[in-house]
Amino acid sequence: MSISLEREKHQNQLSQERLIPGQVLILLAGRFQGKRVVFLKQLKSGLLLVTGPFKINGVPLKRVNSAYVIPTSTKVDVNGVNAGQVDDLYFKRTQAQRRKNEQGFWAKRGELTAEQQTAEKTRLEGKRKTQKSIDDALIAAVKKTPLLKQYLGARFSIGKTTRPHDLVF
Amino acid sequence: MKSEQQQKGVTKTVKKVKVNKKAPVRLWVKAVFTGFRRSKVQQNEKQALLKIQHVDDVSSSRFYWGKRVAYIYKAHSLKNNTKFRTIWGRVSRSHGSNGIVIARFNRNLPPRAIGSTLRVFLYPNRA
Repeated sequence: MSISLEREKHQNQLSQERLIPGQVLILLAGRFQGKRVVFLKQLKSGLLLVTGPFKINGVPLKRVNSAYVIPTSTKVDVNGVNAGQVDDLYFKRTQAQRRKNEQGFWAKRGELTAEQQTAEKTRLEGKRKTQKSIDDALIAAVKKTPLLKQYLGARFSIGKTTRPHDLVF
Repeated sequence: MKSEQQQKGVTKTVKKVKVNKKAPVRLWVKAVFTGFRRSKVQQNEKQALLKIQHVDDVSSSRFYWGKRVAYIYKAHSLKNNTKFRTIWGRVSRSHGSNGIVIARFNRNLPPRAIGSTLRVFLYPNRA
Protein backbone atom coordinates (compact mmCIF):
# COMPACT_ATOMS: atom_id res chain seq x y z
CA MET A 1 0.00 0.00 0.00
CA SER A 2 1.26 3.48 -0.71
CA ILE A 3 2.08 5.64 2.28
CA SER A 4 -0.85 8.02 1.75
CA LEU A 5 -3.34 5.16 1.59
CA GLU A 6 -1.98 3.73 4.83
CA ARG A 7 -2.24 7.13 6.48
CA GLU A 8 -5.85 7.48 5.30
CA LYS A 9 -6.69 4.05 6.64
CA HIS A 10 -5.06 4.95 9.99
CA GLN A 11 -6.99 8.21 10.18
CA ASN A 12 -10.21 6.44 9.34
CA GLN A 13 -9.63 3.92 12.08
CA LEU A 14 -8.93 6.63 14.64
CA SER A 15 -12.01 8.62 13.78
CA GLN A 16 -14.34 5.67 13.68
CA GLU A 17 -13.24 4.56 17.08
CA ARG A 18 -13.37 7.81 18.92
CA LEU A 19 -14.99 10.70 17.12
CA ILE A 20 -18.71 11.30 17.01
CA PRO A 21 -20.31 13.99 14.85
CA GLY A 22 -21.08 16.90 17.12
CA GLN A 23 -18.08 16.35 19.32
CA VAL A 24 -16.15 19.44 20.30
CA LEU A 25 -12.50 19.38 19.25
CA ILE A 26 -9.61 21.61 20.21
CA LEU A 27 -7.42 22.71 17.31
CA LEU A 28 -3.74 22.37 18.16
CA ALA A 29 -2.00 24.21 15.37
CA GLY A 30 -2.47 26.78 12.70
CA ARG A 31 -4.23 30.10 12.67
CA PHE A 32 -7.05 28.84 14.88
CA GLN A 33 -4.95 27.07 17.46
CA GLY A 34 -6.68 26.68 20.79
CA LYS A 35 -10.12 27.21 19.30
CA ARG A 36 -12.87 24.82 20.19
CA VAL A 37 -14.75 23.67 17.12
CA VAL A 38 -17.55 21.27 16.30
CA PHE A 39 -16.73 18.10 14.39
CA LEU A 40 -19.17 17.48 11.56
CA LYS A 41 -17.99 14.44 9.68
CA GLN A 42 -14.99 12.71 8.27
CA LEU A 43 -14.23 13.37 4.62
CA LYS A 44 -13.11 10.77 2.11
CA SER A 45 -9.54 12.01 2.29
CA GLY A 46 -9.44 11.08 5.97
CA LEU A 47 -9.48 14.69 7.12
CA LEU A 48 -12.07 15.89 9.57
CA LEU A 49 -14.65 18.48 8.58
CA VAL A 50 -15.16 21.03 11.36
CA THR A 51 -16.86 24.35 11.78
CA GLY A 52 -16.57 27.02 14.49
CA PRO A 53 -19.47 27.82 14.06
CA PHE A 54 -18.16 30.87 12.27
CA LYS A 55 -20.35 33.36 14.15
CA ILE A 56 -19.22 32.04 17.51
CA ASN A 57 -15.47 31.79 17.13
CA GLY A 58 -14.53 32.78 13.62
CA VAL A 59 -13.62 29.30 12.41
CA PRO A 60 -15.20 28.56 9.02
CA LEU A 61 -15.90 25.19 7.46
CA LYS A 62 -12.48 23.68 7.61
CA ARG A 63 -10.62 20.46 7.03
CA VAL A 64 -8.38 19.34 9.83
CA ASN A 65 -5.97 16.47 10.32
CA SER A 66 -7.01 14.32 13.26
CA ALA A 67 -3.45 14.35 14.60
CA TYR A 68 -3.69 18.11 15.09
CA VAL A 69 -6.80 17.97 17.21
CA ILE A 70 -7.73 17.02 20.77
CA PRO A 71 -11.22 15.54 21.09
CA THR A 72 -13.17 16.60 24.17
CA SER A 73 -16.09 14.92 25.86
CA THR A 74 -18.41 17.81 25.07
CA LYS A 75 -20.96 17.07 22.37
CA VAL A 76 -23.34 19.20 20.38
CA ASP A 77 -26.51 17.81 18.89
CA VAL A 78 -26.01 17.80 15.11
CA ASN A 79 -29.21 16.03 14.13
CA GLY A 80 -30.50 19.06 12.32
CA VAL A 81 -27.25 19.78 10.53
CA ASN A 82 -26.80 18.66 6.96
CA ALA A 83 -23.15 18.71 5.90
CA GLY A 84 -23.78 16.30 3.05
CA GLN A 85 -22.89 18.66 0.24
CA VAL A 86 -19.44 19.46 1.63
CA ASP A 87 -16.68 17.18 0.49
CA ASP A 88 -13.02 17.41 -0.46
CA LEU A 89 -13.89 19.01 -3.78
CA TYR A 90 -15.39 21.95 -1.85
CA PHE A 91 -11.90 22.81 -0.61
CA LYS A 92 -10.04 22.32 -3.85
CA ARG A 93 -8.12 25.40 -4.93
CA THR A 94 -9.30 26.90 -8.18
CA GLN A 95 -6.98 28.07 -10.95
CA ALA A 96 -7.92 31.67 -10.21
CA GLN A 97 -7.03 31.23 -6.54
CA ARG A 98 -3.69 29.67 -7.33
CA ARG A 99 -2.80 32.39 -9.73
CA LYS A 100 -3.86 35.35 -7.62
CA ASN A 101 -0.46 35.87 -6.03
CA GLU A 102 1.60 35.70 -9.18
CA GLN A 103 4.43 38.19 -9.31
CA GLY A 104 7.05 39.40 -11.69
CA PHE A 105 7.14 37.60 -14.99
CA TRP A 106 3.86 35.79 -14.37
CA ALA A 107 2.02 38.82 -12.96
CA LYS A 108 -0.10 39.20 -16.07
CA ARG A 109 -1.26 35.63 -15.80
CA GLY A 110 -2.37 36.31 -12.22
CA GLU A 111 -4.72 39.11 -13.14
CA LEU A 112 -8.23 37.75 -13.16
CA THR A 113 -10.32 38.20 -16.27
CA ALA A 114 -13.81 39.60 -15.94
CA GLU A 115 -15.37 36.16 -16.18
CA GLN A 116 -12.91 34.73 -13.66
CA GLN A 117 -13.83 37.50 -11.25
CA THR A 118 -17.55 36.79 -11.53
CA ALA A 119 -16.83 33.09 -11.17
CA GLU A 120 -14.91 33.84 -7.97
CA LYS A 121 -17.78 35.96 -6.69
CA THR A 122 -20.32 33.22 -7.31
CA ARG A 123 -18.06 30.64 -5.73
CA LEU A 124 -17.63 32.73 -2.59
CA GLU A 125 -21.36 33.46 -2.40
CA GLY A 126 -22.01 29.73 -2.58
CA LYS A 127 -19.50 29.12 0.22
CA ARG A 128 -21.10 31.75 2.42
CA LYS A 129 -24.49 30.13 1.86
CA THR A 130 -23.25 26.66 2.77
CA GLN A 131 -21.49 28.05 5.85
CA LYS A 132 -24.64 29.86 6.93
CA SER A 133 -26.96 26.90 6.39
CA ILE A 134 -24.78 24.57 8.44
CA ASP A 135 -24.04 27.11 11.15
CA ASP A 136 -27.64 28.24 11.66
CA ALA A 137 -28.72 24.72 12.53
CA LEU A 138 -25.68 24.29 14.75
CA ILE A 139 -26.07 27.57 16.61
CA ALA A 140 -29.71 26.70 17.35
CA ALA A 141 -28.50 23.47 18.98
CA VAL A 142 -25.65 25.26 20.79
CA LYS A 143 -28.00 27.82 22.31
CA LYS A 144 -29.94 25.07 24.07
CA THR A 145 -27.05 24.22 26.37
CA PRO A 146 -26.13 26.92 28.89
CA LEU A 147 -22.62 28.32 28.50
CA LEU A 148 -21.85 26.18 25.44
CA LYS A 149 -21.65 29.27 23.24
CA GLN A 150 -19.13 30.87 25.58
CA TYR A 151 -17.25 27.59 25.76
CA LEU A 152 -16.93 27.42 21.99
CA GLY A 153 -15.91 31.04 21.90
CA ALA A 154 -13.14 30.61 24.42
CA ARG A 155 -9.71 29.36 23.48
CA PHE A 156 -7.83 26.57 25.15
CA SER A 157 -4.49 27.58 26.59
CA ILE A 158 -1.82 25.93 28.71
CA GLY A 159 -1.23 27.85 31.90
CA LYS A 160 1.60 27.81 34.42
CA THR A 161 0.43 24.70 36.23
CA THR A 162 -1.35 22.84 33.44
CA ARG A 163 -0.18 19.29 32.92
CA PRO A 164 -1.47 18.13 29.51
CA HIS A 165 -0.50 14.54 30.29
CA ASP A 166 -2.85 14.59 33.28
CA LEU A 167 -5.73 16.45 31.69
CA VAL A 168 -8.91 14.59 30.94
CA PHE A 169 -10.47 16.24 27.95
CA MET B 1 -7.57 40.33 8.01
CA LYS B 2 -6.39 39.52 11.53
CA SER B 3 -2.81 38.56 12.13
CA GLU B 4 -1.15 37.47 15.39
CA GLN B 5 2.13 39.29 15.10
CA GLN B 6 3.21 38.23 18.59
CA GLN B 7 3.64 34.56 17.69
CA LYS B 8 7.09 33.22 17.03
CA GLY B 9 7.72 30.78 14.25
CA VAL B 10 4.98 32.28 12.11
CA THR B 11 5.80 34.36 9.07
CA LYS B 12 5.48 37.95 10.12
CA THR B 13 3.87 40.17 7.53
CA VAL B 14 5.80 43.27 6.60
CA LYS B 15 2.70 45.35 5.89
CA LYS B 16 0.71 46.68 8.82
CA VAL B 17 -2.36 44.53 9.40
CA LYS B 18 -5.03 44.54 12.05
CA VAL B 19 -3.35 43.12 15.14
CA ASN B 20 -5.16 40.66 17.38
CA LYS B 21 -5.17 42.41 20.74
CA LYS B 22 -6.36 39.39 22.72
CA ALA B 23 -4.01 37.49 25.01
CA PRO B 24 -1.96 34.92 23.13
CA VAL B 25 -2.71 31.29 23.84
CA ARG B 26 0.00 28.80 24.63
CA LEU B 27 -0.47 25.40 23.07
CA TRP B 28 2.95 24.09 23.86
CA VAL B 29 4.64 22.84 26.99
CA LYS B 30 7.88 24.35 28.22
CA ALA B 31 10.89 22.11 28.26
CA VAL B 32 14.45 22.80 29.22
CA PHE B 33 17.26 21.46 27.10
CA THR B 34 19.55 20.07 29.79
CA GLY B 35 22.25 18.70 27.55
CA PHE B 36 23.07 15.91 25.17
CA ARG B 37 22.87 12.27 26.09
CA ARG B 38 26.31 11.45 27.34
CA SER B 39 28.61 9.53 29.56
CA LYS B 40 31.30 11.28 31.55
CA VAL B 41 33.67 11.93 28.68
CA GLN B 42 31.60 11.31 25.57
CA GLN B 43 28.35 12.82 24.34
CA ASN B 44 25.93 12.00 21.56
CA GLU B 45 24.78 15.24 19.97
CA LYS B 46 22.07 13.44 18.06
CA GLN B 47 20.10 12.90 21.25
CA ALA B 48 19.00 15.91 23.25
CA LEU B 49 17.80 15.52 26.82
CA LEU B 50 14.71 17.53 27.61
CA LYS B 51 13.20 18.23 31.00
CA ILE B 52 9.53 18.91 30.30
CA GLN B 53 7.80 21.08 32.86
CA HIS B 54 5.68 19.17 35.42
CA VAL B 55 6.70 15.79 34.05
CA ASP B 56 8.26 13.78 36.85
CA ASP B 57 7.98 10.13 35.95
CA VAL B 58 8.09 7.76 33.02
CA SER B 59 4.33 7.19 32.79
CA SER B 60 3.73 10.93 32.45
CA SER B 61 6.48 11.29 29.87
CA ARG B 62 4.83 8.64 27.68
CA PHE B 63 2.22 11.20 26.68
CA TYR B 64 4.91 13.23 24.96
CA TRP B 65 6.32 10.47 22.80
CA GLY B 66 6.22 11.53 19.16
CA LYS B 67 5.26 15.09 19.96
CA ARG B 68 6.99 17.73 17.91
CA VAL B 69 9.54 19.99 19.57
CA ALA B 70 10.87 23.33 18.41
CA TYR B 71 13.97 25.23 19.36
CA ILE B 72 13.38 28.86 18.49
CA TYR B 73 16.14 31.37 18.29
CA LYS B 74 16.78 34.81 16.88
CA ALA B 75 19.23 35.68 14.20
CA HIS B 76 20.31 39.01 12.81
CA SER B 77 19.19 38.70 9.23
CA LEU B 78 15.68 38.30 7.90
CA LYS B 79 14.71 34.96 6.46
CA ASN B 80 11.13 34.27 5.38
CA ASN B 81 10.28 37.78 6.58
CA THR B 82 11.24 37.07 10.16
CA LYS B 83 14.26 37.12 12.45
CA PHE B 84 13.07 34.03 14.30
CA ARG B 85 14.35 30.65 13.25
CA THR B 86 13.45 27.19 14.38
CA ILE B 87 14.95 23.76 14.57
CA TRP B 88 12.26 21.12 14.60
CA GLY B 89 12.45 17.73 16.20
CA ARG B 90 10.40 15.07 17.92
CA VAL B 91 10.34 13.48 21.32
CA SER B 92 11.57 9.99 20.68
CA ARG B 93 11.81 8.18 24.01
CA SER B 94 12.02 8.49 27.75
CA HIS B 95 15.29 8.67 29.62
CA GLY B 96 15.69 7.51 33.17
CA SER B 97 12.90 7.34 35.71
CA ASN B 98 12.28 11.02 36.46
CA GLY B 99 10.48 12.16 33.36
CA ILE B 100 13.43 13.25 31.25
CA VAL B 101 12.84 12.68 27.60
CA ILE B 102 15.11 12.29 24.56
CA ALA B 103 14.39 14.36 21.49
CA ARG B 104 15.92 14.07 18.07
CA PHE B 105 16.09 17.06 15.81
CA ASN B 106 16.31 17.50 12.05
CA ARG B 107 19.59 19.24 12.66
CA ASN B 108 21.34 18.76 15.99
CA LEU B 109 20.81 21.43 18.56
CA PRO B 110 23.60 23.95 19.03
CA PRO B 111 25.33 23.71 22.43
CA ARG B 112 24.43 27.29 23.20
CA ALA B 113 20.86 26.07 23.52
CA ILE B 114 21.70 24.18 26.69
CA GLY B 115 19.61 25.62 29.49
CA SER B 116 17.19 27.31 27.13
CA THR B 117 13.48 26.67 26.86
CA LEU B 118 12.14 24.60 24.02
CA ARG B 119 8.54 24.21 22.95
CA VAL B 120 6.96 20.80 23.07
CA PHE B 121 3.75 20.94 21.07
CA LEU B 122 0.71 18.78 21.67
CA TYR B 123 0.66 17.41 18.13
CA PRO B 124 0.65 14.79 16.64
CA ASN B 125 -2.09 13.75 18.98
CA ARG B 126 -2.03 10.00 19.37
CA ALA B 127 -5.19 9.78 21.48
